[in-house]
Amino acid sequence: MVTISTQLKEQVHHCIRCGLCLNSCPVYRQLWFEGASPRGKIQLIKKVLEGQLEPSDHFGRLLGTCLLCETCSVTCPSGVQLDRIMKSMRAELLKTFSAPWEKRLFFHLLSSRRLLPFTMFWGRTLENPLRLLLPKSSQAGTIPYSRIPRLNARPLIHQFPEVVTVDGLPKGRVLYFVGCATNYMFENIGRSLIGLLNRLGVEVIIPQEQMCCGFPICLDGARTIALTNIRHNLDLFDPQNVDAVIVDCATCGAALKHEYPKLLEEMGEEAGAAAAGQLAQKVQDISQYLSRFDLHTHLKALPGRVTYHDPCHLLRTQGVKDDPRNLLKNIPQMELIEMEGSEVCCGGGGTFQLDHPELASAITAKKIQSIKDTQADLVATGCPGCRLQIHGNLTDDKLKVVHPVELLAQALSLRGTSCI
Amino acid sequence: MLPPHVLKELAAIFGPERCKTAKEDLLTYSYDACIYEFLPEAVVFPKTTEETAALVKLAVAHDFFITPRGSGSGLGAEALAKKGGIIICFSMMNRILEVNTANRYAVVEPGVIISDLQKAVERVGLFYPPDPGSAAVATMGGAVAMNSGGMRGVKYGVTRDYLLGLEIVLPTGEVMNTGTITAKDVTGYDLTRLICGSEGTLALVTRITIRLLPKPKTKRTLQVVYDSIEAAGDTVSKIIAAGIIPATLELMDRMIIKALEESAHLGLPLDAEAILLIDVDGDPETVERQAALIAEFCKDQGAREVRVSASEKENEQLWVARRSAFGAVARLRPSCLIEDATVPVSVLTETIKKVKEICARNQVHVAVLAHAGDGNLHPLILFDQRDASELARVEKSMDEIVEYALSVGGTLTGEHGIGISKAKYLPQQLSAPSLKLMRTIKQSFDPQGILNPGSFLDWEW
Repeated sequence: MVTISTQLKEQVHHCIRCGLCLNSCPVYRQLWFEGASPRGKIQLIKKVLEGQLEPSDHFGRLLGTCLLCETCSVTCPSGVQLDRIMKSMRAELLKTFSAPWEKRLFFHLLSSRRLLPFTMFWGRTLENPLRLLLPKSSQAGTIPYSRIPRLNARPLIHQFPEVVTVDGLPKGRVLYFVGCATNYMFENIGRSLIGLLNRLGVEVIIPQEQMCCGFPICLDGARTIALTNIRHNLDLFDPQNVDAVIVDCATCGAALKHEYPKLLEEMGEEAGAAAAGQLAQKVQDISQYLSRFDLHTHLKALPGRVTYHDPCHLLRTQGVKDDPRNLLKNIPQMELIEMEGSEVCCGGGGTFQLDHPELASAITAKKIQSIKDTQADLVATGCPGCRLQIHGNLTDDKLKVVHPVELLAQALSLRGTSCI
Repeated sequence: MLPPHVLKELAAIFGPERCKTAKEDLLTYSYDACIYEFLPEAVVFPKTTEETAALVKLAVAHDFFITPRGSGSGLGAEALAKKGGIIICFSMMNRILEVNTANRYAVVEPGVIISDLQKAVERVGLFYPPDPGSAAVATMGGAVAMNSGGMRGVKYGVTRDYLLGLEIVLPTGEVMNTGTITAKDVTGYDLTRLICGSEGTLALVTRITIRLLPKPKTKRTLQVVYDSIEAAGDTVSKIIAAGIIPATLELMDRMIIKALEESAHLGLPLDAEAILLIDVDGDPETVERQAALIAEFCKDQGAREVRVSASEKENEQLWVARRSAFGAVARLRPSCLIEDATVPVSVLTETIKKVKEICARNQVHVAVLAHAGDGNLHPLILFDQRDASELARVEKSMDEIVEYALSVGGTLTGEHGIGISKAKYLPQQLSAPSLKLMRTIKQSFDPQGILNPGSFLDWEW
């Protein structure tokens, strides 16, 4: 019996089928048939919940044709939380249809405290020989292997002590949730962030035993597996005695701020949901946290033209829009040029780009066109997923994708953090 | 049921991607924005006039029903397969073929979204005025079929007023053109305007030529707050009677204000009984003068407050919210039927009062929205479809509202169309000769009766 939480089930009946979600949906605007639209999916879910439709393979495929970019949820005037309903339904489907082996491996990897570091270590060690063995045209989704960034030589967490102290009396103290992407791939983001906070006099605590936030697993429906990560991280991150728990990854932030409490509530774990709620109040994206400092006096000129791409998990899930832009505007001689449709999803969508490579790339192509129309030479975004997707679909290196904190660190001339 | 060889021929015309027959896909074409559901037997997506004509010829040869559809935002099952058969969905035939600035017209395919067209022409300084609440959803083909109106009707008219010509596929499979690209044209019967508003019963529209206007230089939105809905209604009648023509003149009652505030957080006054949203557009001096005039006028009529939007962004937010009103009321109750009775603007206030009285007597929730300048009421009747007795009370209220509207010289529907929702009222407004003539017209376009069966002319409950 397929079922979702009572509250979400009632919401399904409040979809009045006005259709306002259709043209806000990047997937519908690519495929142009109703089954690909948010309204279509909700109506099918309604039929399944009413027992009028078997949760078939085809139903599952249609449900999978969604970036979970949440544009429909914020557009829906009736207040239907389409993304929550879709996520719950994916979890239900996983009970009936098991995931393909690659996905199961992926779940296992991200939910294991030992296996992920182990794999990343050997991945890094064998990276060059492995790449030599692969045919030159190999791709992950539509991203050529050559455009996937190299792994960090050492995980970021191992590059710093557990407590990064400051000289004199600290002006603040934060817990740093290092996402997998920063930890294993984009070390310069982590170094920039830590260096920046250090310069501002903020003590940074990096819990060494932290695990993947689990959000990528949840998006594919494997909620029960993700519970391991969620419980572990909730135990590890005690929000008392710190100003904030900071994240540099839009997805990790969305997980800690929204997904943890909501998911635990939907799964009926009340005690966990309460703890997650307390943590959530302290979680801040690095751009939000930095907004309390007067950075202007510290920054040196960094001439360039930058445009900003809004990650779904930062703009829609967390409502963070102006803070990253303000950071960029702070940098002397750095011109911020808004692109058209900065809020539109880049097409990455977690494992979406692996499951639907052509569709994802078509959506990314529109994004890249908007970026190019600004004639900027930099695109800043606070999400490693967007970064991989945009960078991976570029055909040359004229345009560079960066995290806003990397530009700030460079404008502060922090040692070892050059990004452009 | 469609025989296998027909399905095979459909797949041959459209390819497997554009011919859908799986139950899951069919279910997603069983509804529009109304409460009824009819399951089609297949859904096809033409990309060309030739494919459309090929489908019709197949339908003629094998005698199956076809029903055209755009985005499915209709409010009366007009684009549903009421008697089964095939849905021909134009969503993938959606190119803007030409925007001609020298002669101020555009040529589009039927699947183009209205707001996409509006944005495209505004980029080159032109303006397509018809602006239904669903402009961000609905297609141009749908707008032509339904003769969509909307919020700028009071000054600029409706879809019909902007059509220059059409390319259509007749239900016999023949392709023909109506109209021209010139501003004036009296050659023969005006078939363009006969097709427009025919609810997809006479022909399949495959290409649309529309007239465009120069884009107004500036626009100002006034938000006028009232402590009584009567005062708001009276203001509307008096604005019109005074010869002032704003671009839009929308009225919303307390319940709509509450729903919009909950969904969009705009800081609307929750204690107000009614708000008028008034747009004036044109050159800056005229806009300035008109806005001041209207503001004063409203205050004289007892408005509590007149707010003038500070920026284009604020304008935009207000109108986005207004467009979402239909969806927003679904926060209050799960189902909603929009009444669309339209009355002479001089009796607007009495009609609003009467609607509220009818709904109160029948114990149904009603939220009142109106394209007030047109006398076009949109009482949103809120209920839960799962509750049969409530549904019966809703229907009774609708009957009474219709009866009242007709008694004061109004019409059954101002812009949403008859569909199946209002088919039963048709004889109350149209005389027997009128209905007979309409059926004869339908017969001469579609002798075999394959196009959109179960439509307003032949629907029986």
